[in-house]
Amino acid sequence: MHLLIPWFTRLAIDNLAQGPGRRWDLLLFPGLIALAAAGQGVFRYFWRINVFGFSRHIEWDLRNQLFAHLQRLPLAYFQRMKTGELMSRLTNDLASVREMLGIGAVAALDGAVLILAALPLMINIDPWLTLWSLLSLPGITALVLGFGNRMHRGYREVQQFLGKLSIFVQESLAGIRVIQAHAQEDTRQARFAELSAEYMRKNLVTARLSGVLWPLIAVFSGLAAAVVLWLGGRRVLLGTLTIGQFVQFNGYLAMLTWPVMAIGYVVNLYQRGSAALARLVEVLETPAAPAHLTPDDGSPRRLEGAIEFRDLSFRYDPDAPWVLRDIQLKVPAGSCLAVVGEVGAGKSTLVHLIARLFEAPEGSLLLDGRDIRAVPLSRLRASIGLVSQDIFLFSETIRENILFGRPDATVQDIEEAARIAALLPSIQEFADRFDTLLGERGVRLSGGQKQRTALARALIADPPILILDDAFSSVDVQTEESILRELRGARTGRTTILISHRISTVKDADQIVYVRDGRIVEQGTHEELLAREGHYHRLYRRQLVASELEALAAKENG
Amino acid sequence: MHGPHVHIDDEILGKAYDARLVVRLLVYLRGYWVLVCLAFLCLAGYTGAQLLGPYLVKVAIDGYIAAKDLAGLDRVALAYVVTVILGFLCHFGHSFTTQYVGQRVMHDVRQQLFGHLVTHDLAFFDRNPVGRLMTRVINDVENLNELFSSGVVAFLGDTLMIVGIAGAMFLLDWRLGLLGLGLLPVMVWATNLYRKKARENYRESRKTLARLNGYLNEHISGMATVQAFGQERRALHRFMEINSRNRDALLKSVHYNAIFFPLVELCSAVTVGLILWQGGRMILDDTLLPGVVVAFIQYVHRMFQPIRDLAEKYNIFQAAMASSERIFRLLDEPARIQAPTEPGTPSATAGSIEFQDVWLSYVPGEPVLRGISFRVAPGEKIALVGPTGHGKTSIVSALCRFYDVERGRILVDGLDVREWDKAALRRHLGLVLQDVFLFSGTIGENVSLGCPWITAEQIQEAARRVHASRFIDRLPQRYQEEVQERGSTLSQGERQLLSFARALAFDPRILILDEATSSVDTETEILIQEALRILLESRTAIIVAHRLSTIQFADRILVIHKGRIREEGTHAELLARQGLYARLYQLQYQLA
Repeated sequence: MHLLIPWFTRLAIDNLAQGPGRRWDLLLFPGLIALAAAGQGVFRYFWRINVFGFSRHIEWDLRNQLFAHLQRLPLAYFQRMKTGELMSRLTNDLASVREMLGIGAVAALDGAVLILAALPLMINIDPWLTLWSLLSLPGITALVLGFGNRMHRGYREVQQFLGKLSIFVQESLAGIRVIQAHAQEDTRQARFAELSAEYMRKNLVTARLSGVLWPLIAVFSGLAAAVVLWLGGRRVLLGTLTIGQFVQFNGYLAMLTWPVMAIGYVVNLYQRGSAALARLVEVLETPAAPAHLTPDDGSPRRLEGAIEFRDLSFRYDPDAPWVLRDIQLKVPAGSCLAVVGEVGAGKSTLVHLIARLFEAPEGSLLLDGRDIRAVPLSRLRASIGLVSQDIFLFSETIRENILFGRPDATVQDIEEAARIAALLPSIQEFADRFDTLLGERGVRLSGGQKQRTALARALIADPPILILDDAFSSVDVQTEESILRELRGARTGRTTILISHRISTVKDADQIVYVRDGRIVEQGTHEELLAREGHYHRLYRRQLVASELEALAAKENG
Repeated sequence: MHGPHVHIDDEILGKAYDARLVVRLLVYLRGYWVLVCLAFLCLAGYTGAQLLGPYLVKVAIDGYIAAKDLAGLDRVALAYVVTVILGFLCHFGHSFTTQYVGQRVMHDVRQQLFGHLVTHDLAFFDRNPVGRLMTRVINDVENLNELFSSGVVAFLGDTLMIVGIAGAMFLLDWRLGLLGLGLLPVMVWATNLYRKKARENYRESRKTLARLNGYLNEHISGMATVQAFGQERRALHRFMEINSRNRDALLKSVHYNAIFFPLVELCSAVTVGLILWQGGRMILDDTLLPGVVVAFIQYVHRMFQPIRDLAEKYNIFQAAMASSERIFRLLDEPARIQAPTEPGTPSATAGSIEFQDVWLSYVPGEPVLRGISFRVAPGEKIALVGPTGHGKTSIVSALCRFYDVERGRILVDGLDVREWDKAALRRHLGLVLQDVFLFSGTIGENVSLGCPWITAEQIQEAARRVHASRFIDRLPQRYQEEVQERGSTLSQGERQLLSFARALAFDPRILILDEATSSVDTETEILIQEALRILLESRTAIIVAHRLSTIQFADRILVIHKGRIREEGTHAELLARQGLYARLYQLQYQLA
């Protein structure tokens, strides 16, 4: 359709040259041109909608697939892959694939059709003129090919550097107290000036590339036009070419500029797109965590809560050092186990194994007497409430965060969970109460408030196994004691595992284990361990004084 | 990806042109006026070259081809090549110069903004969340960039081109010129409509994309939580929902583009048709030469591109005006803490502190300090004890002049803190905070904070003395080890020791320590106590204490309660008083 327009233009012009008497033709060809343009418009509309729409649908689908797959990957994968790296795959790489399928496909097909159709028509007009005028066009393809990837790389670098600059600003503002306290504003500003200048330089590199590329393309197409003007003009002058044909030829030539650019562009898009696709496939082909593959066997909805470690040793990787060695431990359903020990002794790993966030070796960890590997994951996780050491809350309302594990809970359930977690007083301070938004765009909770929110989140499902991994480190002792009291009241039949540095937290547990370098070195009740005068006893002596002071100060306050 | 944060409420757009803002923006161009002139010259040259092309074609056809003048044709073709090359030089010249100026200006604005921000008092940061300030420094400045480097000049260029083409057409033949511009109103109308639709849609798709990526980022970071609660299915459902909304917004814009761009081409084809029709009649009447028609067709093709571009520019302008308004508003906010007219440093800097009836409130009418008075002699160490939220930290903040006091005054070495040179005061004071803030960079940089006068030896010496070298030496790169995501790989205790090393490296006369409340394991606790002893040696110190073991370092204890000093004295005096402190001590005695 596109090709008809120059053709009609030529007929119109040549018609003029044939002299007077055919005035109705004057209207005919312009009319045909308008019709051809309208037809082309309609055709283009559907063609674009279809191809671009298709690429958007593919992107949508691929994104869903990737997200679904990510959720099934073992946590070790997320420790290996940085969040930033994964985000880059799901944003930049996905965009590259989409561009390859959308713009790439449109440009490739458009270009191919135009070249294949216009060339014969041009040759038909004048083969030699075609040859001479097209000499400079491959230059455009080469230019786009050569510059395209460099510009893209430059653009990526600019983006990445902007990220770096953002982090610098973010840290400078969040850490303003430290900077001002050390009178380092000037140092910080000098560093910022350096980063900002570097960012400017990177921007200018791409600016120079694109500043050269587009004008150069114009030079090549301009040269082609000059050739046509010169040689074509000669032929018109000599009478071997009509003026109409001359104009028609010019029309085709102008049309070809875009396709020859498109060749380079499409090659670039294809290179980037297929590399990006390979990276996405790599994510999709990462095997899912075995935990997600455990078949559902129709066993009871929830676990009873008996936990047994049988001579368990664990390490994160086959060539990594052991994190846990020879763990031999029975936790009867409904009892309370406390785990104490130094940082890095393996306490958190122990409880992560129970939640099957990592895989325990076969036969070494039993829940209700069955190997954990035989317990369907949905059952397992519906039975465990975990408050981990580093609390992760979502940028949603407090209510949505508490409801996370059990979306259908009633208002009473939420309030009850918040009450046990001693969260209600904090919530009353917020104007929107449970609907207070958390995160960057909402309220920033203090460490203690976060821990209590996470506790309420774990409690709302009333899980038979509750794991508190150093969950009260930022909560004052008095509040902690009231929470523990409430938990004991509500705890009938619930297996509880407490990890803590504080003696006050663990002293009432049914059994306490002291973990050191991945091994259980002491095991017993509070009294038994004190009598032993070992690690636990030393910890006790050291802490009691400090915690009593805090408690007293807090009481004085109240 | 650490992309810039998008704040949707910041995207409310205003006018596309605001004279007051434009004048302020122009001030930034002051230093670059030569380059700006060069850019305009190039722009004019480029436009001229573009206009000359079709005219040369007309001359060739009507002048030489019709007259069968071969030599003339050669000359015209050569002239055409010259315009092409001239066009290239001017095009490159103007696009690079404007980019250069734009980037320079952005660099200037960014620096000014950052410098302005870091000197604000803490009350300012209490009012303005970090995320919003970041959007100013990063996103809003970036919007200005678009205004300077692709906005203004391209806008002028496009306008110049349209006017130039219109002028050229009228000069060639005014009747055909009218026809050539005949569809312009239709184009303007369509462009306007498209612009509005596209803008709404663009905002919608940006909003949904920001949500989508935010959701993604959060769920990757929080994958352990999602999996531990078995919420994969629900998370996927919500993800798909947001994903669909984003896709629908984007499909809509595909739709608008698929209508608008072919429409522009249709208009251009119809215009060509009209010119052929009218031009044809005139040629037959012998009132027009055919070359004019050919030139007109080329002009029409060159006219529609700038119109299309202008449609896109308008939205850029609007966003940039809104951004510049926000930037200027921030720059106009005066720093609350005024630097003294004659900043001084006292002659003797032994390290004495005196609070004289100090009142402080963050919210007017709600004082957090109510008449605090005390004195600390050089080398003396005092402990502040008392419940959380009763003013201990506020005493520290007032002393560091993070906030100015409401009444009374604070003397450091006999000079009011408000008369001190701010930088000198803060070098005199060393502050160790509860939650240790680590910056991206190496361990070493976190000790020196990038301060140029602290040498690598001093860093290592400081780390060694507070026992931080114990864990630093275990790191593969030692002092060159990069701190991962705000120190997440370091334990609480290690971060504490690092902050002690930082304080020691700066070697202040007066040390202010806000002790961490969070519990650490016993071994680390011993190290911390030991490091504290070294840190406090021969310095004046104010310690916000949470542990009795730390209080033992103090010569004197102040018990702070409800913004006042409730008890004050040495260990022995307080014991004799039989108050709160005495009871604490008894408890300890019983336990020991």
